[in-house]
Amino acid sequence: MTTAPPASPILEIIDAVHVYDDVVALDGVSITAAPGEFLTILGESGSGKTTLLRIISGLETPYSVRVLRLGGVDVRDTPAFKRNCTTVFQNYALFPHMSVGENVAYGLKVRGTPASERETRSREALRLVQLEDMYDRRVHQLSGGQRQRVALARALVPQPDILLLDEPLGALDERLRVDMQVELMGLQKTLGTTFVYITHSQEEALTMSDRILLMRHGKIEQTGTPTDIFDRPVSAFAARFMGVDNCFEGDLISLDGERADVMVGGERLAGRWSGKRKPKAGEKVAIGMRAEWLTLADTAPDRDDINVLPCRGDGAIYKGKYLDRTVDTGVAPMKARIWDVASAVPEPSFVWWKKDDCIVMNA
Amino acid sequence: MSSVALDQAGETKSGREAAAPARASRRRAPGRTGLWPTVAKACGLFALAMIYIPLIFLAVMSFTPNPLSGVPYPLTVEHYAALAGDERWMGPMRTSLFMSALVALTCMVLATVVGRALTRMRSPGAPLLLTLIPLFVPGLTMGAALFIFLRTILGLTLGLWSIYLAQLIWALPFCLLLVLVVASRFDLNLLEAAEDLGASPWRRFFDVELPILKPGIFGAGIFGFLLSFNELPRSLFVRGIDTTMPIYNWAMAASQQSQVPIIFSLTTLLLAITLPVMGTFFWVLFVKLDKS
Repeated sequence: MTTAPPASPILEIIDAVHVYDDVVALDGVSITAAPGEFLTILGESGSGKTTLLRIISGLETPYSVRVLRLGGVDVRDTPAFKRNCTTVFQNYALFPHMSVGENVAYGLKVRGTPASERETRSREALRLVQLEDMYDRRVHQLSGGQRQRVALARALVPQPDILLLDEPLGALDERLRVDMQVELMGLQKTLGTTFVYITHSQEEALTMSDRILLMRHGKIEQTGTPTDIFDRPVSAFAARFMGVDNCFEGDLISLDGERADVMVGGERLAGRWSGKRKPKAGEKVAIGMRAEWLTLADTAPDRDDINVLPCRGDGAIYKGKYLDRTVDTGVAPMKARIWDVASAVPEPSFVWWKKDDCIVMNA
Repeated sequence: MSSVALDQAGETKSGREAAAPARASRRRAPGRTGLWPTVAKACGLFALAMIYIPLIFLAVMSFTPNPLSGVPYPLTVEHYAALAGDERWMGPMRTSLFMSALVALTCMVLATVVGRALTRMRSPGAPLLLTLIPLFVPGLTMGAALFIFLRTILGLTLGLWSIYLAQLIWALPFCLLLVLVVASRFDLNLLEAAEDLGASPWRRFFDVELPILKPGIFGAGIFGFLLSFNELPRSLFVRGIDTTMPIYNWAMAASQQSQVPIIFSLTTLLLAITLPVMGTFFWVLFVKLDKS
């Protein structure tokens, strides 16, 4: 189920097309965001997500766009410096010749806010990102994480309608990134500002977003809430991106409502249909299952609601919290995740999983 | 390794105290016998001496009755008195000061404009080369070429304006290089950040780009001034009937007249003013501003 954005979206783009030299960066992209929404644009590098962000901020003028509205106002001919949205850049782009305070206050300075109010609001913004003591520091005295927070405070101070974040946590180490995710979510709830957040990490997208937009080659592959996209990827690409470990191609035998039967490498497997466009029997489809849904066993259980394949144990990778076991089935090598290592079967001869945990999608 | 380097740098001061541990590590670093650093230091000292001894000698001789005699005795201030009483050098001096200030200012503006443009070009190689080539054209060649072009081909009356033009052609490539040093390191993303925060094109330039390019632009101003103030070969050709300070000095020194000694006083005075001013300027620009 997709949450429909309310009647007056704060951001509305219809049919944006952009081309760099000979490369199509955006190929007819349409998006909307509701006020106060945390919208994540997820995609690989080169999928066009940064271009989309730059078109919203105005730093890039699209080759063509039918509708481009911020807060209900048509901004197709409005230059970036007159749009009420700010960006947290991937490389932070802090002004090296200004102090932290001057950096944060800059958005207010260019708007002609009086100096005393500027300082009050900048200090307040720095307090929000827990850097209240750094007001007079120079930028080069800060650590990477602190710079990231200054960039965030600088973008928040002018109280934009939309805050754009271009992979803001990409340069931080693991621990800091997880902390910042929580902080950003809290901040977004407190301020009620619409966040448009770019990332290539599905984990980040799932954790933080109200809604995810998955992009591929300048097009939108899938839109939906985190649970939507996680549980019901529409294509093999979306499934792999959302971490579905086992994903193969097969031929559709039949599609009856939600239930799809697929022939994969001579084996008949059943799953639930989650694709977009309903295919006809005989068409190529993709079938996927997460490693954590597979069970390895010595004997095959006699049940109706599961798929079973005979297999031979292959490699194993110890990951600390769990064990990733590769097994060789007649169909393809498959990966099973075992959490309870102690009671695992050492030499499994069958792998089985529920038909409901098996998804069938457009190839 | 670092202890060796440290020890050799401070050899004259603490060489003896650090002798025992240093000798042990020095044996492990073949080729570093201590001979080369000594040779390098000697060469450096010789070079510095060759630069500064003539300058000091000039200053000393300006206080003697006959500077060309080579005998710094007896000391006198008669040339300085004569300089104060003489008014002929003041016109060229005023011309030169005004001209150099104008050239410096033009250089600062042009070097900034051109430097910004070059760093934004996709392939700046060819235009950059064309702007820099005047660096390698001999002064007399450039002067003669300008003279032929302006005077005989275009039939213009030469004067201060053509001196200005010739000096600008000479000084601009140096100034451009100075601006390019900072402009090429300038992160254009900063301008996007400023734009994103609501800064208009002019504000972006004055708030973000100009402050960061400032050292290069001021450096361009200083060098533009100095290059113009000392320029002789080009000015000689295109001067018309105007005279700058270097032309005046050159004419005086070449004419074997009695005014020669006051040239020494004049140049000494210039040196005494220029060096401290420039020294302070550079210190403020590159040391103090950099730290704050």
